[in-house]
Amino acid sequence: MHFALYQIIIVAFAAIMIFQGLKNYFGGKGNQTFLKLLTRIIVWGGMATVVTFPHVSNTVAKLIGIEGNINAVILAGFLLVFLMLFKLLSAIEKLEQQITTLTRQESLQDLEK
Amino acid sequence: MWIVLPAYNESKIIKDVIKEIQDAGYQKIILVDDGSTDDTYAVARSLPGIIALRHKINRGKGAATKTGIEASKKLGCELVVTLDSDGQHNPEDIARLIQPILNGKCDVALGTRLKNPKGMPWYKILANHIGNAVTWYIYGLWVSDSQSGFRAYSRHAVEIINTKTDRYEYDSEVIREIYLHKLRYSEVPIEVRYTEYSMGKIQKQGFVNGLKTLYKIIWHMIS
Repeated sequence: MHFALYQIIIVAFAAIMIFQGLKNYFGGKGNQTFLKLLTRIIVWGGMATVVTFPHVSNTVAKLIGIEGNINAVILAGFLLVFLMLFKLLSAIEKLEQQITTLTRQESLQDLEK
Repeated sequence: MWIVLPAYNESKIIKDVIKEIQDAGYQKIILVDDGSTDDTYAVARSLPGIIALRHKINRGKGAATKTGIEASKKLGCELVVTLDSDGQHNPEDIARLIQPILNGKCDVALGTRLKNPKGMPWYKILANHIGNAVTWYIYGLWVSDSQSGFRAYSRHAVEIINTKTDRYEYDSEVIREIYLHKLRYSEVPIEVRYTEYSMGKIQKQGFVNGLKTLYKIIWHMIS
């Protein structure tokens, strides 16, 4: 079986992401739940499967009714926008947490006065 | 034992709420003003024996509660009680709430409105049931009142519980922490006093805020 470079890169990346999820879950990291782990495995596992066995996407496309290149391009674009939105919301969430931490630290300084 | 009061725009009532707590025999009170636009902070500061802290900007009930708990840890607490600052909780219930912790039976005592729902509007009861179901489904632990702000924590519990959410989803996140860290908990029936004042506040956990809380809980799960 011949693998293209992009397939190797994506499969390796998906394996790292799944490994990180398993490590966090079994390492008892506070914010890692089973549901999160399952979501991670489905998303990254699905991506690795589609990249390794591209004909799977044909079966899925037929199954859900996507036919033709233009539909695939639109779907890919939609997924890309979704991913960007997800990253953006994650960044905002992180900033919100940092603002809260700073606000808390500043208010707790009153305790030491 | 320290009493933690997160407060946002409660200047009309905060003096009475604090007096009622003091009259019930609890003098160690930390009020966290969560960036109020009225003079809640000034009123609290003017009261004797109160530690008043202030968030310069509004960060939410969960964030303010956590700030109060952090302050009580710094002050060497052995027990922390959190309650809402709109007067809906009866300070006379504190003694009953902390009893299971004092007896060494649990680490967290959850004040439970649904075990004593007298005076509670039907839609609040319904909203609480929905909140409980969502909390159970997402965080894995069924409790009778996942949205109650009237709770007591042992020192052991406040050292372990590490919340990240800032707003009303905080109450459910505490349930997750109890579940994840296998903390012992007890549910204690409490009285609720839904007054015209508390029901009229727009920042309370209403329907729209309830949806926001649900969105936040789901977001924290997938992000």
